[in-house]
Amino acid sequence: MSDLDREVAGIRCREVLKLLSSYLDGDLTEAEARRIDDHLRECDRCEHFGGRFSEAVAALRHELSRAAPLDPEVARRLRARLSDV
Amino acid sequence: MSEPDDRRLLLEASLGDRGAFERFVQRHEAAVFRLLRSSAADEADAEDALQEAFVAAWKGAGSYRGGASARGWILTIARNALRRSRRRRVGEPSTFEPLEELGLQAGWGRDDTLEGLARRQVLDRAMQMLGEEEREVLVLRELEDLPGEDVAEMLGITVAAMKSRLHRARLRFLAALREVTDE
Ligand SMILES: [Zn+2]
Repeated sequence: MSDLDREVAGIRCREVLKLLSSYLDGDLTEAEARRIDDHLRECDRCEHFGGRFSEAVAALRHELSRAAPLDPEVARRLRARLSDV
Repeated sequence: MSEPDDRRLLLEASLGDRGAFERFVQRHEAAVFRLLRSSAADEADAEDALQEAFVAAWKGAGSYRGGASARGWILTIARNALRRSRRRRVGEPSTFEPLEELGLQAGWGRDDTLEGLARRQVLDRAMQMLGEEEREVLVLRELEDLPGEDVAEMLGITVAAMKSRLHRARLRFLAALREVTDE
């Protein structure tokens, strides 16, 4: 039995781990989300992990959402190719 | 005057308006190249597919119906162009370790903070450590912010399967982030 088998507020840590994305993305029913809320309030490890998890997703979304502009040479060759068709 | 939307640009392109198509290219080329670079074996393959994708879009502009987003439309064309070239990156084999295993790799149970989250270079390196399928779902869903239904359709999987892939990809990204910053 691992630490993840610990049950807090009627739900095991491993189940919380599995539902974390659905929880953050708002895909859970109200009752399911409330069970996770209760668990997170009482389980330090899941609360901490959930924080890091959502920070990482937010960083990905914010820092990398803008694609780097195309290299001017790549852009030029694309135009050259398009002018041939 | 407001910017014409993609649907209008593609309609005009389908009637032979190269200026309209150029604006469409400008709007999407960086995103298309990013997706291709994340999946192609090398830079040259990504560039070939980039050109083929926009050639195909120019020829097929009239087939865009305006249902899904134009971004999703052109990314799908690009993905298919790369598939045809059959030179996709040989990714790390997709392993399916149990979710708990992934959670522990991602730092579940560790009482620490994450460094480097504001550094693009760190995030980029973590992305590079992922397998192709994981990187692809993160690019489409998190970076492009395409609707889940569109992403599932592009990947040829159900919405539920896409969500499960996304969850694993996020966990693996977090694990990779720790690996990069622990070095
Ligand atoms: Zn817990």
